[in-house]
Amino acid sequence: MNSIQRQLTFRLVALSCLLWSAGSLAVYFAVRAGLVAEFDRTLTAKAQSLAALTSQKDGEVEFDFNPTVQHSVLRDAFRLWFPDGTTYDYTPGTEKIDLPKRVGTFDFRVPSGATGRAVGIRFTPVEDEESKKHARVEATVVVAGSRRELDRRLRLLATTLLLVGAGLAALTGIVVPRIVRQGLQPLAGLAQRAATIDAASLQLRFSTDALPAELQPIAGKLNELLARLETSFTRERQFSADVAHELRTPIAELRALAEVALKWPDDAPATKRALEDALAVALQMESIATALLNLARCESGQLPVRREPVALAPLVKDVCRNLPINVSVPSDATWDADPALLRVILANLVSNAVDYGQSARLCVEAGQISVSNTTDNLTADDLPHLFERFWRKDPARSSSTHTGLGLALCKAYADALGLDLRVELAHGILRFELGPAAASLRAR
Amino acid sequence: MRVLLIEDSKRLQTSVGRGLRKAGYAVDVTGDGREGLWLGESNSYDAIVLDLMLPGLDGLSVLRGLRAKHNPAHVLILTARDAVEDRVRGLQTGADDYLVKPFAFDELLARVQALCRRSYQRKNPVIEIGGLHINTAARTATRAGQLLDLAPREFALLEYLGLRRGEVVPRADIEAHLYPDATDLMSNVVDSAVCTLRKKIAPTTIQTRRGAGYILE
Repeated sequence: MNSIQRQLTFRLVALSCLLWSAGSLAVYFAVRAGLVAEFDRTLTAKAQSLAALTSQKDGEVEFDFNPTVQHSVLRDAFRLWFPDGTTYDYTPGTEKIDLPKRVGTFDFRVPSGATGRAVGIRFTPVEDEESKKHARVEATVVVAGSRRELDRRLRLLATTLLLVGAGLAALTGIVVPRIVRQGLQPLAGLAQRAATIDAASLQLRFSTDALPAELQPIAGKLNELLARLETSFTRERQFSADVAHELRTPIAELRALAEVALKWPDDAPATKRALEDALAVALQMESIATALLNLARCESGQLPVRREPVALAPLVKDVCRNLPINVSVPSDATWDADPALLRVILANLVSNAVDYGQSARLCVEAGQISVSNTTDNLTADDLPHLFERFWRKDPARSSSTHTGLGLALCKAYADALGLDLRVELAHGILRFELGPAAASLRAR
Repeated sequence: MRVLLIEDSKRLQTSVGRGLRKAGYAVDVTGDGREGLWLGESNSYDAIVLDLMLPGLDGLSVLRGLRAKHNPAHVLILTARDAVEDRVRGLQTGADDYLVKPFAFDELLARVQALCRRSYQRKNPVIEIGGLHINTAARTATRAGQLLDLAPREFALLEYLGLRRGEVVPRADIEAHLYPDATDLMSNVVDSAVCTLRKKIAPTTIQTRRGAGYILE
């Protein structure tokens, strides 16, 4: 599985090992170059001091070297080539070293296997007045020292670097995962908290203050999502309870009507009344079921929507027939809509205006249909609830002519038609406005 | 027995009210919470059937109002709210019973009968007085296995006197519980009903205590 913690740990450990190796190598080579240069300088100085011991006197080259005096100082071997080709050899140990005649610094190996380093210089022995008259002559001296000490130091350095490197690598391997884990702790905490959320604990929220800046937007978004989920869950629960209530009451009515009528069947007028009531209940349940079904269809997008020019004047006249409502419609107003859906919307708005308020008024102007009535028991706080299914100002659902679904259905139909249904309350006048949300309207 | 039905559905008012009356109860009906509370406070009911969702004043507030004034009436909550917490809240507010809509009318009747019996500290549905058996559940009276022919109102009177047997029942109580419509103070509806009942249940006697009331022994 892809894990941030594992990836980060692996990369950090690998990177620190790489950096440490590169650093160690750089240190090793720098120190080695320094040590070798130092070694070479010492050898060169010795060669120069040997050269200083060589002098010319009256055209003769002399080498003033006394091994018994100087060998304690000079622990290195050397070979001196006089201008005439003869050589002078000196070795501090017993092994004979055959040094080559070479100028510059170079490594060499003696037959026994030991390695050494040598410096060869060419020089003119110190001349006296007499010798200066002769042609210049040149001698060569090669001084060789054992590399044992140098190599030992280099090995020590390499070992130290390797050991420290291994230790640091091990330490990195232990520390980095911990640091990474600690660094990712808030993320793990967030995940753990998120894992406990289910439908029953939607009221839970993440505290964003304690979170690092990178996680705050995530937690914020999660909180928003939870809030929205909680709202819709609550709404759904309320809706289920409402459906149960809305259906239970008429069923209870039907049952009581039938049972009482059956228990005392002799009273014919009472039985007839009971049957009439039962029919009314059945019709009411039918309208609830139809409205619920239409809402469900609308919400799942299965509602067929036709589009045709609808003349508003005859439609409004038909809807408002015999109702106490003041109507004003221009005779030529035409909308491009589904006549059946538009009729349902208008019928519901008009019936609400007539039944729940006074001075009902329907007005078509400026491409909008507005239905208004005066009301004294609604407040601005109620407006958002008006389109909720089964919402009623008074929880006692005494009305049998209104299902409590009318406005929800109006809203859903308006959405399906691409229309916008708004409501406003000002100066005790409740006003619904139906108008185009997009360019679906063509008022001629 | 006098029952108050507070229910905002007109159809339930009609059907349940008719059913209870047919079963011999004196029934008052209202669809408004405030009016229900007022009726409950001003009359003495043996049982009150109370809906929760009411216009004016909700059912629980009505119940609280009744209990705050130590109203002894037994209350049955009749509602579409079926959640456990609703039932618990209803019973804890002071209701004696809880029935969820839709309901069987016979069950409602049986529960109302049980509540009425409880009003007189009786748990046994059958009251026996000197060979006369009054079955408050079946609403029949028998002597030696023989069914007595009683009208519902007559049975209700017998039941009421039977529930308060050995006790002098004032005429006003009988009027309040059985004949709430008899508002006329000089009405002799109780006297004539007792007179008719006496003939039907003989030899069991209903004695008249002048100025006090009636006693069934």
